[in-house]
Amino acid sequence: MEPACKIHPVNMLCLFFQVKQIMEEAVTRKFVHEDSSHIIALCGVVEACLLHMLKRRAAGFLRTDKVAALFTKVGKTSAVAGDICKKVQELQQQAEGRRNQLSGQESLKRQCSASGKTPVLTPQALRHIWVRTALIEKVLDKIVQYLVDNCSKYYEREALLADPVYGPILASLLVGPCALEYTKLKTADHYWTDPSADELVQRHRIHGAHGRQDSPSKRPALGIRKRHSSGSMSEDRFAASAREYVESLHQNSRTHLLYGKNNVLVQPKDDMEAIPGYLSLHQSAESLTLKWTPNQLMNGTLRDSELEKSVYWDYALIVPFSQIVCIHCHQQPERGGTLVLVSQDGIQRPPLHFPQGGHLLAFLSCLENGLLPRGQLEPPLWSQQGKGKVFPKLRKRNNNKSVDLEEMPEESATDYVFRIIYPGHRHDNNSGDMIEMQGFGASLLSWQLEHCSQGSSCLSCSTGSSPYDLPSCCNCIHDRTPLKMLCESMKRQIVSRAFYGWLAYCRHLSTVRTHLSALVNHSIVPPDKPSSATGGLTKEVWSKYQKDKKNYKELELLRRVYYGGVQHEIRKEVWPFLLGHYKFGMTKKEMDRVDEDIALKYQKVMAEWKACEVIVKQREKESHSVIFAKFSSGSSIDSHVQRLIHRDSTISNDVFISVDDMDSADRDFKGPDDPSLTVVNVDTPVAAAVVEQQSVEFDSPDSGLPSSRNYSVASGILSSIDDGQSVSFEDGAEEDVNTDSERPDLDPTQAQKAKAVVLESQDPVMEEQLCSQLDYLTSSEDIGSVCMAAYTIELLDTVALNLHRIDKDVQRCDRNYWYFTAANLEKLRNIMCSYVWEHLDVGYVQGMCDLLAPLMVILDNDQLAYSCFSHLMKRMSQNFPNGGAMDTHFANMRSLIQILDCELFELMHQNGDYTHFYFCYRWFLLDFKRELLYEDVFTVWEVIWAAKHISSEHFVLFIALALVEVYREIIRDNNMDFTDIIKFFNEMAEHHNAQEILKIARDLVYKVQTLIENK
Amino acid sequence: MAAGEGRGAGGLECREHLFKVLVIGELGVGKTSIIKRYVHQLFSQHYRATIGVDFALKVINWDSKTLVRLQLWDIAGQERFGNMTRVYYKEAVGALVVFDVTRGSTFEAVSKWKHDLDSKVLLPNGSPIPAVLLANKCDQKKDGSQNSSQMDQFCREGGFIGWFETSAKDNINIDEAARFLVENILANYKSFPNEENDVSKLKLDPDLLKADSKSQCC
Repeated sequence: MEPACKIHPVNMLCLFFQVKQIMEEAVTRKFVHEDSSHIIALCGVVEACLLHMLKRRAAGFLRTDKVAALFTKVGKTSAVAGDICKKVQELQQQAEGRRNQLSGQESLKRQCSASGKTPVLTPQALRHIWVRTALIEKVLDKIVQYLVDNCSKYYEREALLADPVYGPILASLLVGPCALEYTKLKTADHYWTDPSADELVQRHRIHGAHGRQDSPSKRPALGIRKRHSSGSMSEDRFAASAREYVESLHQNSRTHLLYGKNNVLVQPKDDMEAIPGYLSLHQSAESLTLKWTPNQLMNGTLRDSELEKSVYWDYALIVPFSQIVCIHCHQQPERGGTLVLVSQDGIQRPPLHFPQGGHLLAFLSCLENGLLPRGQLEPPLWSQQGKGKVFPKLRKRNNNKSVDLEEMPEESATDYVFRIIYPGHRHDNNSGDMIEMQGFGASLLSWQLEHCSQGSSCLSCSTGSSPYDLPSCCNCIHDRTPLKMLCESMKRQIVSRAFYGWLAYCRHLSTVRTHLSALVNHSIVPPDKPSSATGGLTKEVWSKYQKDKKNYKELELLRRVYYGGVQHEIRKEVWPFLLGHYKFGMTKKEMDRVDEDIALKYQKVMAEWKACEVIVKQREKESHSVIFAKFSSGSSIDSHVQRLIHRDSTISNDVFISVDDMDSADRDFKGPDDPSLTVVNVDTPVAAAVVEQQSVEFDSPDSGLPSSRNYSVASGILSSIDDGQSVSFEDGAEEDVNTDSERPDLDPTQAQKAKAVVLESQDPVMEEQLCSQLDYLTSSEDIGSVCMAAYTIELLDTVALNLHRIDKDVQRCDRNYWYFTAANLEKLRNIMCSYVWEHLDVGYVQGMCDLLAPLMVILDNDQLAYSCFSHLMKRMSQNFPNGGAMDTHFANMRSLIQILDCELFELMHQNGDYTHFYFCYRWFLLDFKRELLYEDVFTVWEVIWAAKHISSEHFVLFIALALVEVYREIIRDNNMDFTDIIKFFNEMAEHHNAQEILKIARDLVYKVQTLIENK
Repeated sequence: MAAGEGRGAGGLECREHLFKVLVIGELGVGKTSIIKRYVHQLFSQHYRATIGVDFALKVINWDSKTLVRLQLWDIAGQERFGNMTRVYYKEAVGALVVFDVTRGSTFEAVSKWKHDLDSKVLLPNGSPIPAVLLANKCDQKKDGSQNSSQMDQFCREGGFIGWFETSAKDNINIDEAARFLVENILANYKSFPNEENDVSKLKLDPDLLKADSKSQCC
C-alpha cells in the first residue's frame, strides 16, 4: 500500500466534519450565509481532495491554479462544469473591476456607495472561487461525481477520488451541502453583524411557518444541536491490523464517533514526557469506548510494517467505559484541563491532558450524551442553553451525598469529581451504594475490591448482558451492617432532598403568585358576556349610553373598549371619559362645568408662564447681546462660556443633576402653584440684591439680534414661536399683542399688555397683587431689571431651559403627520408649556410631546387636550426619570418572561444578560407611541386605558410581552444579544400588527389570571 | 480563517473591524443629523427627537487590507437614566461629542457628557475612549472669529483627541471628523490587538476554536 492511502481516511474525516458543520449551521440557522466561514473551510477541504494525486496533464503543466485548470478541463466535457466556468469568469471580472476601483484614490464615501448591487467577494472566497461557486450553484456534488466517474482520465490510481470506496462516498457527502440555501441577501455595503429586521422577519416567514403550531413550552431546548451519525467507511474489526485500527478511530457503520480531539497529551510512563495523541470516544450498540492513540501512529508517516511494530502501541489506550466509575477533572487556568479515569478496581488511568479552550468540557458533554440513556454523570453537567454544557456550580448542601464534591476546594471550583451512574437499572440500589461508598474514601474501596476479587461468583451476580451493567459485587454483601446503614442513611437523604425540593418549588410558586397577582385584576371580565364585545364601542352603543346614562354601566362600556376599541368617529367624545376628564354618568350640565373650570385654569396657567416667558426672552436677548459683543470684540467661545457658567449655572442640561438638586431648586423658587408667592416684593433686601446683580448685565445695550436667536431657521415652521417677542394669546387676551420681532427691549406698553393678560386671571388675590406690581413696574425706569426681580434667577433659568427644550421638540414633533401644521404645533407648544409650568420640578422631558400629540389629533381642542394630557401624565410621568416606574416595569417584565417563557429568558440571560430590559425603554416611556402607526396608537392607547378597569392596571407590560413573544423565534433563532434586539425593535417600529399584538396581550393577561385563579 | 481576518488571494492579510462609536451631546445639537449625513449622505428637516437610542452602520473600506464597520449609537440628548447610558456605553471604542455653536449652553454640557462618558466606559487598557468634539451647525455661525487655539486648549484640558467645526446641513467636516476618530481607534487597536476592542472577532470566537481543532487534524 502506498502511504498516501492512509491520508484518505483523514481527509475524509476532515471533509465529513466540514460537511457536518455546514449542515448544522443550516439546521440551526435555517440558511447558510455566503460569507460563512464554514463554506470557506469546506471549500478548502474539497479542494485538497480534488487536487490529491491529480494527473499532471489534468492539472495543466504550467498553470499555478490547478483547481482552475481542472475545472476548465472538465468544463469542456461536462455541461454543468462548463456553466461554472462561465460563472467564475464573470465573478473574476467583477472582482478585477472592483480591485481597480479600490486602488484608485477614491473617497470612502464613494467606495461605499459604489459597491451597489454587485456581490463583493472576500479574499477567502476568491481563493476558493471555483469550488465555492460550484457549491453555491449547488452543482459541486455533480461535478465531483463526474470526476469520480471519469477518474482514470484525471487522477492517478492512488488518488482519493480514484479510490473505489472513498471516491463515491466523497461525492455523496457533498449532496447535502449542495441542497442548502446560500443566502445572497447580504452584500458588503449591507454589512451589519446581522441582517436587517425586515429581512429577519421575512426569513422567519419563509422558514419558520411550519414550526409555529408548537406551543413554546414543547419546543426543544435551545442550543442542543443534532448529532449527525450517518456515513459508513469501513468495518470496525478492532485492531486486526494497525491500519484498520487507525481507521477504526473514525466514524463507521457500527460505531459512532462521539468525540475526537487531536493533541491530547498523555504521559504513558512516569519516566517519559507527555506525548500528544488523538483522543476519541466511540459508541457502538453495546459499549462506549475511549481510545487514545499517539500521534506517531496517526500521522501516516510510518509504513504499515513499521506501524505494526511501533512501541507506541504500548502507549495507546483503549478504555471501555463500563469499567470506569469515576472521573476526576482538574482545570488549571491558562493550561487546559486534566482528566483522570478511575476504574471500579480503583486503578487510575494515565491522566489525559486537554489543551485550553473548553475541550475538557466538550469531551464531558459528549461523554454524558454517550452514556445516555442508561448512564449519566453525577453531578450532571448543567446545560446553559445556546452555550451548551457548563460545569455544575457547586453549592454546599447539607448532605453527604456530595461529600466528595466538598472535598474539592470550593472557592476555585476548577476540580470536579463525576461519578458514572446507571439509575433506573435493576441493580440501582446496589450500584448506588457502591458509588456512595466510593465517596467515603480509599478504605472502603479496598474493602470492596477484596470482595470483587473474590472470584467469578460475584461477577455472576450481575445477570445483565448489557455492557452498562456494573460488574456488581453488591448482591453478595447485602448482609453487611455498614452497608445497610449506608442504605438507610441514603434513603433518608433522598427523601429529605425530595421534600426540600418540593418545598422550594412550592415557595417559588407562591412567590410567583403573590407577585403576579399584583399585576392583574382578579376578576375575569369575559369578552362574550353579556354580549360579544369584539365589535368595540360603536356610535350606536355610545348614543344609547348618552340617552340613558343612569342605566348604562361604566364597566360594560369599558369592556367593549378593551375587547374592540372605540369607533374612530366618537373618539373625540369618548377619550375624555377614558382619561378621567369627565366621569361616566355625568350630566351635560356637570360636563359643562368641568369644561369651564378647565378653560379658566388653562387660561390662568397660560397667562402665568407667558408673562414669565416675556422676561426670559428679554433676559436671553440681553445675554446674547453680551455674547455677541464679546464675539465681535474677538474673544473666544471659551471665555463667553466661562462667563455663562458663572452667571447662570443651571442653564444647559440637568442630565447630571440629581433629584435632590431639583428639589432644592424647587424650594428655592417656591411653588408655581401658589401665584401670590411668584411675585417677590421688590423692596425686600433679597430682591434688591438680585436687582443689583442683574443690573450689571443690563448696562450693555442690546445691539441687535444674534443669528442664534432664531433656532428654527432650518425648519422655518415656527418662526413666530421662536421669535422672542411674539406672545399671542388666542383664547384669553382681548388685546392682540404686537408681534414686532425687532423690538429690542421691553417697553412700558408691553408691560401694560402683560398686565392685561394677568387681569384675565381668575385668582383675585393674584390679580390684585400683580396689578399693583405692574402699576409699579410700568412707572419704573428700569423695567427690565424690576421684571427680573419678580422671579428668582433660578426660576428664570429653569423656565428658559424648559422653553428651549420644548421648542426643540415641538419643532420636530411628528411633522410628517398631516395634523401638525404650524398653527397646531403652536397649540401643542402652549399646552406643553402650560403643563411644564405646573410641573417645573420635573420639567420638560423628551417624549412628552410624543404623548401629547395623539391626544391633540383626536381631541383638537386646547383646553380638553391640556386636561386629558394632565390626566394621562399622572400615570406616564412616573415613567420619566424622576418617577421610578420604569425600573418597576423592567423588573416586572423580567419576572413575567421568566415565568411565562423561561426558554427565552435563558437566552436573554446567556447573551450578555439583557434582562435589564432596556430595549423596552421607549415602549414604556411613550406607551408604544413610537412603535406603532398613528391609527394603531389610538387603538392601543384606548385599550391600555380601559384595561385598568377590565383586566390589568399594568396592561403595558403585557403588550411588551406580546411584542417579545411575536418575535421570539426570530430572537431565538438569530441568537440576538442586547444590541441586536434593540436594533431589531428600532427597525421594526411602525411595522407591527397592532391587532395581533393586542390579542396576544389580552390572552397573556387571561393566562396569568387563570394561573392565579387555579391556586 | 476567522471572519475578522484571512489571507487574500495575493497573500495579503485582510482585517475586518467592528467598532462601536457613541454620538452624544445635548438635545437638539444635531446628533441624528450628523449620523444621517455621514451614513446616508442626506440631510432632512424631518428627524424626530431620539428617545432612548438609535443605530446606524457605516462601512469604510479603510485601505486594501482593512474593512471598518462603524456601529454608531445615537443616544438621546436628554438621556438622564444613569444606568441606561452605562449600558449604552458598554464596549464603545470611540465617541463623537456634539454641541451646537449657536447655543453656548450646549458647549457647557460637553464637559458633563465627557465626564459621564469617562466615568462609565474605558478602553481595555484603562484609558478613556478617544472622543472627538464636534462644533456643529457652523453654517449658522455668523461671527467667524472663533479662536481655534483656545478650542485646542479646551480639547487638551478636556481630554478630547481633537475638534472639528461641522455642519450636517452643508456637509462640512463630518467625514473628516469620523476619519480622524477611526484613525485613533485603529491606532489603539494596534497597540492592544488582543484586547476586546474588536467586536466581530469576539463574536466569532467559538467558530474559531472549532476551525482550529479541525484544521489541525488534517
